[in-house]
Amino acid sequence: MLESLLATFIELLPEIGKAAGETGLMLVICLTAALLFGGSLGILVFLTSKGQVLGRFRRFNLVANGFINVFRSFPFIILLVAVSPFTRHIVGTSIGPLAASVPLSLAAIFYFARLIEQTLRDVPRGVIEAAEAMGASPLQIVRQVLLVEARSGLILAVTITAVSFLSYSAVAGVVGGGGIGDLAIRYGYYRFQTDVMLITIVLLVILVQGIQFFGQWLARRVDKR
Amino acid sequence: MTTQPTDVPAIQLRGVSKSFRTPDGQEVGVQPTDLEVAAGEIHGIIGFSGAGKSTLLRLANLLERPDAGQVIVHGDDLTAMPPATLRAARQRIGMIFQHFNLLHNRTVADNVAFPLRIAGASPERIRERVDTCLAFVGLAEKAGAYPAQLSGGQKQRVAIARALAPEPHVLLADEPTSALDPRTTQSLLEVLADVNRRLGVTILLVSHEMGVIRRLCHRVSVMEGGHIVERLRIDQGRIPPGSQLAQWLKDYGDGTGDAPEEEVDPTASLQREASHA
Repeated sequence: MLESLLATFIELLPEIGKAAGETGLMLVICLTAALLFGGSLGILVFLTSKGQVLGRFRRFNLVANGFINVFRSFPFIILLVAVSPFTRHIVGTSIGPLAASVPLSLAAIFYFARLIEQTLRDVPRGVIEAAEAMGASPLQIVRQVLLVEARSGLILAVTITAVSFLSYSAVAGVVGGGGIGDLAIRYGYYRFQTDVMLITIVLLVILVQGIQFFGQWLARRVDKR
Repeated sequence: MTTQPTDVPAIQLRGVSKSFRTPDGQEVGVQPTDLEVAAGEIHGIIGFSGAGKSTLLRLANLLERPDAGQVIVHGDDLTAMPPATLRAARQRIGMIFQHFNLLHNRTVADNVAFPLRIAGASPERIRERVDTCLAFVGLAEKAGAYPAQLSGGQKQRVAIARALAPEPHVLLADEPTSALDPRTTQSLLEVLADVNRRLGVTILLVSHEMGVIRRLCHRVSVMEGGHIVERLRIDQGRIPPGSQLAQWLKDYGDGTGDAPEEEVDPTASLQREASHA
């Protein structure tokens, strides 16, 4: 049993390598988008929430919050299909890891924005107020207070997002996204090759464990509170 | 370190008011009020919870924007300033808080450096000011520690060093000793007295503790229901007899855990302080 599993593994190695590369590509793209756009959006929503530094921009807060909620209420597979005209428009195709990265990024941006907004709430209002009293600008408060004081929570937010979107990337595989999840579905599910299914699941488990372990280790290391 | 003209009042609040509504619909805050703090003095604001004393203090650097009235610090009207100018003005107004509000992921030295970094000071100046200010509060050896490793009194000393770093003319203190035990309070009050005496910094301080007011302040404003109901001069810890404040002292003690005294006797309190030191 173990021997045949190993044989399958070696036989499939090129496929697995390609799939892992595709998964990596999808993750890198959607996490980058999440960090850049989702992070900024989350910070802005936090800053404009009631009683915070930019609380006077109440209308922005309401609109941005609504946007986040709308995008987050789409089941991912529906979002995938719904944005496919948009995907074709920017990538030129709706098949393959690059195309799958578009709905993945969209979902990740709003997912991460909400996580960041909630993580920042853990920074005591008094600390932000002290910075205001010292004459800090909103940008200085973000960079030197919020991102510093909430940094371990922020690292954990990235960790959770990475794990969630590793799993979402498998869903993207269903519509030809490629990646490890796609491999599991094509061989393990459609062709009833349980051994392939097993191999891919073991791979995914190792990946998730690795991401989670590293994220928690880093978060602990930078936490001086 | 810093000298400033003594003819201009350090802080003038002119007709300031601020109202809040608590969740249960009660109207609190500050009624139209005037307050003048002379340069170089330690001015106390005392009152019970909800009297509006913290709000009044927070109006002085516009952490609360008044509904009406003017806030003038060293002759400059903060209420008329655009945001960037206000931020620059705030860099010369130090503030300390009941719960210290230090950055927990930064070392003591980085906390003290914080207001200087914000103001864009040079690395040499930052290093010099951090060393000077930490030495002033007696924590030079804690420069590399994180706030979590310090006691409450030490944290408040770091907060004072941080407030002093940009060489402010004015220090606002919001219940600075209310989270500390009586002995730590005593030594912290000495630091604050030093800040005033040696550095010439004007201090506006809010406290509900009578002992803090008596030991530290030159003048005191008594607040009740959003109004200043009494303005007194404290001479060597003596509360003027016949005042509202003297009556409170009689009724409730001095808030440091000591039993209420029959008579306000400054020598007795001085002896007690000496035994603490």
